[in-house]
Amino acid sequence: MATEAQQIAQRVPGEKSSKPTLALIAGWLIPGAGHLVVGKYYRAALLFISILGMYLIGLGLQGKIYTPNTGDVLDILGFIGQLGLGVFYLIARIFGLGASSVTITLGDYGTKFLVVGGLLNIIAAVDAHSLANGRKQS
Amino acid sequence: MLTHFSAVLLFSLFVSIVFGITQRSEPRMMVRFGAYCFVLFVGITIVASWAMWAIKH
Repeated sequence: MATEAQQIAQRVPGEKSSKPTLALIAGWLIPGAGHLVVGKYYRAALLFISILGMYLIGLGLQGKIYTPNTGDVLDILGFIGQLGLGVFYLIARIFGLGASSVTITLGDYGTKFLVVGGLLNIIAAVDAHSLANGRKQS
Repeated sequence: MLTHFSAVLLFSLFVSIVFGITQRSEPRMMVRFGAYCFVLFVGITIVASWAMWAIKH
């Protein structure tokens, strides 16, 4: 009886499956959800805790929440990074969390926590995609 | 309120966990790589901090 990991690894190249796409999108929207889709529960929990931690610390330090429409290139890059947070970013925008500009020294650190949290979530989502399509073995 | 150093420790911890999980395949290697990243993050920060102090003085 082959395990789940072996079945994924033995998938025929080019075979169409919606699981990789689902893992990618779920992982982006909710940190760790992509790994849940592929059955990696401990990894999913650790990723969720880590990225949620980055997000909460970023907000706690009054980090800036970027918006896409300022016209500043650095703001656009920051927005792309924070967009990686998925629903966390949407929650921050909807409820007005975080700061609209950096007003204290630690606020700059908070902004970095938020941007890096988003980028880490993108890495995690791509990892879940690689696990689902068999590119990563286990 | 976080101090600068506790912020560094938390940043390093969370980033190292994600790096460990995503950049290695075996659980044992994930732990090793995560610990390696954590030590490098914190170590380089301490060295850079002392270097800046030395430059100023």
